[in-house]
Amino acid sequence: MISRVADSCFWLTRYLERVDTWSRLLDVTSSFSLDVGPDGSGRWRPLVIVVGQEKDFLERIGAAGMEDAEVVQHYLVWDERHPASLFSSIRAVRENARTIREAMSVEMWEAVNQSWLWLTSRSAKRLYDRERGAFYERLSSDCMMFHGICYSTMLHEDPFTFMKLGRAVERIGQTSRILDVRHHALGESSQDDEESAAMAARWLAILRSCSAYEPFFKRAANVLSGSAVAEFLLFERTFPRSVLHNLDRVRGLLERLRQSNDATGKSPAWESLERFRGSVLQLDMDEVRRQGIHRVATWLVDETAVLCNAIHEEFLDPSIDSLRARVHRNDRVAARRQLRAQSQVQTQG
Amino acid sequence: MGKGIFEGYQRLAGTFDEFFDADGKPQSAVAAVVDHLNELTRRDFRRLQGLADATFLRGGITFTLYDGNSSTERIFPFDMIPRVIAAREWREIEAGLVQRIQALNLFLADVYSDQRILQEDVIPRHLVEGSKGYRSQLKGIRPPKDVWVHIAGVDLIRDGEGRLRVLEDNVRVPSGVSYVLENRETMKKTYPAIFRNVSVEAVESYTHKLREAMNAVAPGEGGTKRMVVLTPGPFNSAYFEHSYLARRIGCELVQGSDLFVERNRVYAKTTQGPAPIDVIYRRIDDDFLDPEVFRADSMLGVPGLIGAWAAGNVAIVNAVGNGVADDKGVYPFVPDMIRFYLSEDPILPQVDTYVCAREDDCSYVLEHLSELVVKPVNEAGGYGMLMGPSATRAECAEFRKRVEADPRNYIAQSRIELSTCPTWTSKAVEPRHVDLRPFVVTGDRSWVLPGGLTRVALRKGSYIVNSSQGGGSKDTWVVGEST
Repeated sequence: MISRVADSCFWLTRYLERVDTWSRLLDVTSSFSLDVGPDGSGRWRPLVIVVGQEKDFLERIGAAGMEDAEVVQHYLVWDERHPASLFSSIRAVRENARTIREAMSVEMWEAVNQSWLWLTSRSAKRLYDRERGAFYERLSSDCMMFHGICYSTMLHEDPFTFMKLGRAVERIGQTSRILDVRHHALGESSQDDEESAAMAARWLAILRSCSAYEPFFKRAANVLSGSAVAEFLLFERTFPRSVLHNLDRVRGLLERLRQSNDATGKSPAWESLERFRGSVLQLDMDEVRRQGIHRVATWLVDETAVLCNAIHEEFLDPSIDSLRARVHRNDRVAARRQLRAQSQVQTQG
Repeated sequence: MGKGIFEGYQRLAGTFDEFFDADGKPQSAVAAVVDHLNELTRRDFRRLQGLADATFLRGGITFTLYDGNSSTERIFPFDMIPRVIAAREWREIEAGLVQRIQALNLFLADVYSDQRILQEDVIPRHLVEGSKGYRSQLKGIRPPKDVWVHIAGVDLIRDGEGRLRVLEDNVRVPSGVSYVLENRETMKKTYPAIFRNVSVEAVESYTHKLREAMNAVAPGEGGTKRMVVLTPGPFNSAYFEHSYLARRIGCELVQGSDLFVERNRVYAKTTQGPAPIDVIYRRIDDDFLDPEVFRADSMLGVPGLIGAWAAGNVAIVNAVGNGVADDKGVYPFVPDMIRFYLSEDPILPQVDTYVCAREDDCSYVLEHLSELVVKPVNEAGGYGMLMGPSATRAECAEFRKRVEADPRNYIAQSRIELSTCPTWTSKAVEPRHVDLRPFVVTGDRSWVLPGGLTRVALRKGSYIVNSSQGGGSKDTWVVGEST
């Protein structure tokens, strides 16, 4: 498929995953604040930091706003002037979708378009003002619906694979960020297992923001503690938002691309993934505790970026020189094949 | 029966109405439609119209208007009252269009090779070679199968007597066909009942015909051909249409930066490496197609594309250089072309045109400036025109000077009173001016989409049907005998 189109497929689901993660995170953070009462200071600031917008926020809105639930939420939901808001992300989803409508099914396009039209309508504002929780739920369920529609309406071939690839790499980054929120909220010192009601509520909040609440308790061995939660979100292979699950998934998807493309040569994306995945497999909770969750989370985010670059160079935005070289190589192969066919004809004659 | 929507409809005096004759009786082809629609009250109609608008919005069937930094997406206003043409009349239009496109195609092949028509003085050489659409660099190139005009959108208007005349040939990158197809689909979805007891000719085979035509002109022997639609990109106001056509043809939509040329072959950049391309349906103007041959500053095109085309390695749909065939200065000579190349009389009339390059015509034009529409031949999009009937004395005097100074640069036409069609105005049904753009697709042979795009000037009294200036569209029906 056209590389640019693959790139848009890849980014479409990355933005979509951001909307999914962040609407859930915002939802959980606002209801979590209600749970533990007015002592809410420092609860919203980490979100701004982890989304990577601290500088912009301080410049445009000011430090005082970071402690204000309404100001931070407004910033993270509606602010069009930075790319990380839900509004900007949904616009990016829709803009990517509009650009590659020929690669999607009608149903997918209409679902994306409807979400966008809704978000820009008065009824979305009304829901946001009156029933914040329902507002976030609607966004996150729109995202899940979209994946369902993809699954059952589009051809399961390359565009589909690139969409899944985008979602998988984005999840690695987002789950790492959510773990990091905890660090920014509590500081590295308190990461060890304090067994208080307040701490328990915080772990539960983390699990909820990854839709991991019930899955976590299905693993009977898990008692609620900081390192059990971190372990689950990093290494639980069967949990669809864990880091390792998504590394496995990327591996499967890259394999599928190589098969559908009949590729035999070197694959930088594959090599990058194997390196990254190998390091994660060697990691264990002792090591995570030793390094601290913040360092591990930052490392995961950086490694994900490296992997994405490799995917870009190989599939999504190959250099023109490498393409020209491939034309010449293909021409040589074809010429040789023709020569061989001719000499066969001659010997037969 | 409640109050039907046509009750109190007043046609415009001195204008042909597509629905009602002078006595207020429906024309025979529309009788069944009028009966149907008259069963609706205005309230019913408003509801249906709302449903149709919502369908367009939901589907993202929109065009983009840019205004400084901001852009808004609009739906192209759609009017639920169809425009109806009797099948019997349509067959003649069809034959006329095919004949016309055939002649234009032969003309293009001729002016880029032997130039017989210039040598025999049927058309003045300066009009052809001086045309902005003429690309002297292309002389000697023969496009695959010698097809130049694969897709034509010919603008027709109906005069005061009800006769359809050709106003303009669009043989470069005519647009609007996606609205024809979407309008029909929306109509069927929101108001299926109106198709009861009426046999309307189907339009959806357009994209199959287009695909066939593209296949027919693909270079090389059989096998699967790789075809693409080339768009300037998502910021182009017609992007919806480009994407729509790519989806319906079942090929990929590419931008210039997705393609490259190596060893005179065109390749797409794909996730699997370079993929050779056989046919390009381009929606980019000639000027921007290849920075090595035309505008060097174009970021939209593909360097080397024209070379690959000249080498016969890729088909470009429509061919490059077609602008000379739909030039205003060449238009008056199309009937002569038809006689010259086909030895036939033109089937479709066109608007009577005075060519100021001819002495007799010129003196007539100068005497009748206040009655005529005067157009410079080398300006696009209505620039530098004189609308005689509404112009001031000073404007006429100014134009007189211009025409006298450079008569070869001007043509003049009498103003045609466009026909009207009953149109919903959000309160009632009133007459509004319409034109018609049928589409002709040519590969091995020519095929005409039954109907075409009816554009309607929604503002009262307006003649401007462009979507950016208050124009809308209607579903266009070619209707057989009532059953």
